[in-house]
Amino acid sequence: MKVKVISRSVDEFTRERSQDLQRVFRNYDPGLRPQEKAVEYVRALNAVKLDKIFARPFIGALDGHVDAVSCMAKNPSQLKGIFSGSMDGDIRLWDLAARRTVCQFPGHQGAVRGLTASTDGHILVSCGTDCTIRLWNVPITSLMESDDSTKSTIEPASVYVWKNAFWGVDHQWDGEHFATAGAQVDVWNHNRSQPINSFEWGSDTVISVRFNPGEPNLLATSASDRSIILYDLRMASPVRKMIMMTKTNSISWNPMEPINFTAANEDGNCYSYDTRKLDEAKCVHKDHVSAVMDIDYSPTGREFVTGSYDRTVRLFQFNGGHSKEIYHTKRMQRVFCVKFSGDGSYVISGSDDTNLRLWKAKASEQLGVILPRERKKHEYHEAIKKRYKHLPEVSRIAKHRHLPRPIYKASKLMHVMADAKRKKEEKRKAHSAPGSITTQPLRRRRIIKEVE
Amino acid sequence: MGEMKRKETEQGKRRSHKSKRNPSAKLKKRGPRLPSSLQKQLQQLNPTTSDDTVDSDDANDVYEYEEERAEEESTRNKRYDPASVNDDLSQVLEDENVQSDDESEDDDRTGTERNGNAMTDDSGEEDDGRHSRMLQAITGMPREAFEENKKRKKRDNIIPELYPESEYNPSGDVVDGDGHITIDDLLDPLREKPGYGKLRKRSDRINKNSRTIHAPLSKAVQAKVERKAAYEASKKDVSKWQPIVQRNREAPTIFFDENVDLGFSTVGAIASEFEPRTEFEKKIAALVHDDKVMEAHKQDGSKLLEMNKIKTEASQIQMDPEAAEEYAMKRERLRAEERMTLKHKNKNRWAKRILQRGLNSQDEGTRAAIAEQLQRHAELTRKMHTMDGSSSSEDTSDEDDENSAGSDQDRTRKLLGKAKEKTMKVLDEEDEVPQSGLLSLPFMRRGLEKKREAVVEEANLASQEYENLEISGGSEDPKAASTSGRRVFGTSKAQISDTSIKVKSDNYYGGSDSDNDLGTGKSDNIENEGSDFLHRDQNNDSVAIQEDTDTPQESVFKNIDEIINNPGPKTTYEVSIFVSDTWKKAKNLNEGRSIKKSPKLNGPARQNIQDAEKEIGGDSDTDSEGQMADGILSSVSKLPYELPSQEELIQQAFAGDDVEDDFEKDKQEILNEENPEPEKPLLLPGWGQWTHIQQKKGLPSWMLKKHEDARKKREESLKERKDAQLKNVIISEKIDKKAEKLHTKSLPFPFTSKEVFEQSMRVPIGPEFNPATAIGPLNRPERHLELKIENPAEEAHTDKDV
Repeated sequence: MKVKVISRSVDEFTRERSQDLQRVFRNYDPGLRPQEKAVEYVRALNAVKLDKIFARPFIGALDGHVDAVSCMAKNPSQLKGIFSGSMDGDIRLWDLAARRTVCQFPGHQGAVRGLTASTDGHILVSCGTDCTIRLWNVPITSLMESDDSTKSTIEPASVYVWKNAFWGVDHQWDGEHFATAGAQVDVWNHNRSQPINSFEWGSDTVISVRFNPGEPNLLATSASDRSIILYDLRMASPVRKMIMMTKTNSISWNPMEPINFTAANEDGNCYSYDTRKLDEAKCVHKDHVSAVMDIDYSPTGREFVTGSYDRTVRLFQFNGGHSKEIYHTKRMQRVFCVKFSGDGSYVISGSDDTNLRLWKAKASEQLGVILPRERKKHEYHEAIKKRYKHLPEVSRIAKHRHLPRPIYKASKLMHVMADAKRKKEEKRKAHSAPGSITTQPLRRRRIIKEVE
Repeated sequence: MGEMKRKETEQGKRRSHKSKRNPSAKLKKRGPRLPSSLQKQLQQLNPTTSDDTVDSDDANDVYEYEEERAEEESTRNKRYDPASVNDDLSQVLEDENVQSDDESEDDDRTGTERNGNAMTDDSGEEDDGRHSRMLQAITGMPREAFEENKKRKKRDNIIPELYPESEYNPSGDVVDGDGHITIDDLLDPLREKPGYGKLRKRSDRINKNSRTIHAPLSKAVQAKVERKAAYEASKKDVSKWQPIVQRNREAPTIFFDENVDLGFSTVGAIASEFEPRTEFEKKIAALVHDDKVMEAHKQDGSKLLEMNKIKTEASQIQMDPEAAEEYAMKRERLRAEERMTLKHKNKNRWAKRILQRGLNSQDEGTRAAIAEQLQRHAELTRKMHTMDGSSSSEDTSDEDDENSAGSDQDRTRKLLGKAKEKTMKVLDEEDEVPQSGLLSLPFMRRGLEKKREAVVEEANLASQEYENLEISGGSEDPKAASTSGRRVFGTSKAQISDTSIKVKSDNYYGGSDSDNDLGTGKSDNIENEGSDFLHRDQNNDSVAIQEDTDTPQESVFKNIDEIINNPGPKTTYEVSIFVSDTWKKAKNLNEGRSIKKSPKLNGPARQNIQDAEKEIGGDSDTDSEGQMADGILSSVSKLPYELPSQEELIQQAFAGDDVEDDFEKDKQEILNEENPEPEKPLLLPGWGQWTHIQQKKGLPSWMLKKHEDARKKREESLKERKDAQLKNVIISEKIDKKAEKLHTKSLPFPFTSKEVFEQSMRVPIGPEFNPATAIGPLNRPERHLELKIENPAEEAHTDKDV
């Protein structure tokens, strides 16, 4: 007769080191664990609460400028280098890891309004209200030698003087063109002192320009006549214009979806558009209570950051109607420019208070080296949070944010106003002939027209 | 031709007047507009109609009419372009119907009549007068101009305008009151000259073949068209991303770490960056980076030392076929040698010694060598196997099968033999009787004797059975083995093959019984005697052993036992009748004996007896049980008993409690709890009782109304309940606050149905509930982001935590 005994092989149960974990064998029979769902729900709840506890997004401020930071540019080839330009004409290259200036680029007489770097990271282009475009050679080795803390200054490689002041500049992806915004849109080559192409559609000032990273010949601009215009360099012509009710301050293309871009509007909303259907926004991202000054997509294309005149930085899902995160500090003033870091895990904001601020893209993310078990735990927490995010308690805790009083009040007021407007419209609709009054959806309401 | 010219000038004049009169009309006029064939036909068919309508109209109406028509024609404007239907072209037309100038003129006239101006001209004198006056008033030009116009009205034909009318581009008649000068005008004076015909022909030809160039579009329009085209193109271009975007959006996880160039991640990569500096290093590098060496290294890194040999061989083989053949021959020879010496087969002394000492005690090198030898052997023998492997393997399997079949039979034989031996042993042991102690007492001894008898008897039975089994050769039907489970008469049926043995023992008992023989047993025996005669002889010795022992009770018991075991329901039936008489006795006996017997019995004999016991035990229970068990015995029962119907049973079971009523009450309670009945308004003592009047009035009406409303509301809500129509169901509509936390109020956005949503949360994803292999995919985040490091030189300085 065969007698069953518990048999254990020594290999399976022996630890290599005394610090190793004991191996645990489990019976995965669901019949043995009738409470599993309840257990996981409680875990999700705890994970959400832990997120709130660990939410410490602010990493540090980078001070050095003596005037408001007006624009920033990330270095596409280096993770920790970022350029910033200020209203007094100062341009700095920062080492984010050390949080200090690596070198300065003096030369601009007026405010620097636009900064951009070529894709290989060797050339920095700056432009400003002094009607000049300056090209700089970025010191490649500077980051290596950042230990000796002598701040170097760099002379511009070339200076191009033009007829009008500039409002913005952006570099083509993987090409040698860059486009400036000013009285018109000019497309420049690195080696020429004159624009190789100029576009004008309407007579108003162009205030922002952004190349499409996926389609390097497509660029979008916004102008002070409240329009957004698309250009195609291959056709050497503007392509389509769309006029909204309010001005668009900045545009950012989704790096993972070259058909989509998001416009930061003066009315406090961001509008995501499909370039092929400009008569209707894909999504309206609401939450800011004042003009959105700048916008930048994460390299993953799944979220973007906005900086607003209401002194906050917000993070949105690329398809989310409301922000998933709001960052603010007491000392941060009007935010003029924001950027996502190259790895998508940090956010940099430049504001009126002459500082750059470094934030985590995920407020409660654990920094530093994460051990595999820790990572697994985090992943598990993320997964159950995602699974139970619709349940009322979980969503309530996850959505709760402590806001500065002015913003809280303003958002409340805006809510009341919107409510009143809606009610009024409903009443008007109810008391007029059916079909005579139609309400446009918000996605279409702010668009005046699309011009061919 | 002169007429033509005049017509044209007229036309131009009128147009200019009109343009002055109505600036909006001017816009319309600007574009090319000249006779359409359709219009002509219309005019020819009933030329008066349009005139009539025009007559009644005043000037403004005329213009409206004109505008309408212009719109209608707008699509055809290209075809009947003013430019293309220039004076020259009209001449071409003339050429076609050159027979009569009048006709052409008519045509022309009707054509012009399309224009509103012409129509006004056609109307009566009064109208004309008024019209000219008005024109004069507006334009400030002398009346004569209009008068002249009127006179020539029938001739004018064509508007030769290539450019939109404006102050920069005045038409000729505006400037000098006359029409354009055409080639015909210039040719006219030459009519009498000799070369005129030639010239005329030439000009005609030129006119025939000439095509006017369209006016270029305005800059704005042109830009618009361009933009449109560009937008279409870029739309198309961008749309190629659509599937990629779609895929990324639908993917549960997007990996951003694919195609990462990690730079110095591998040893090889680091080594490739190495630059020799010293003399020695340079020498080594020169050797290492030799092409041949590199190639060989790629082919087989481990055999770096044998490089030269292999290389030369390989090169030779590549060089000529002879070398290749030689090489193959050499390999074959080596192989044959190896096979012959059998070095690889652990046959040499060294290998033997090592094997003797045990592989485990050897060092690693030795073990590896042995392993290599073994592998070698395997390789060398592989070919042989492949040649004759299949057939041999088949043979062995066949043999195995046979063996297994044979072994089955053997096993049963052996088992039987063993059992037999054991029984014999038991029989042998019996002789030893204790001579002293408790067991030596007489009554104990008697008891022991009895016991022994029983044992002997059983042993005999068993041995007989074994013999039988041996004879039948294990081909016994499987039913016999599976009988034990069944309780009632099924057993007897299965044991048919055993009956003969038992009956024999019966015979023996029957023969030896003297006093208490009841006869039935005998009769029974007689029945079976014929068939079992032979067996009796065979078992003589066992009978002899038991000769001295005879206990009447026992025999009776045996009888009953055997009879019950006997096949055929008929016999059983008879026996059972008989049994009912002598029941007690048999039963008692059975109980007494079975306890003693059972431990020592083994094998099928024991089985038999146990079956019998069961039988008797079953019978010894109450009658009713017998009836329940089988219908056959029901006729024997003394008390008539009828099975109660299902309903009666239920009634009996639930006697004394009214379930339905209870349910009703419960439901009412729950209803009251969930929709409580409104409180009846009560008169508070002291309130509203100051006077008689108040008291008479009773409760205030608002209170009553409130109560009534509440009552109605309750009724409504009761009606709306889901279980309002269901009599036997309670559906609770009470909200469980604790459970509410676990539910969403509405279906969350991306989900389309409740089932899908619930499904999404059903299977747990934790490490306690899933094996480690499954946790990774279950918990994988949406974005799997890894650092992409472009310049590895900076990697050291780029720490992610900033």
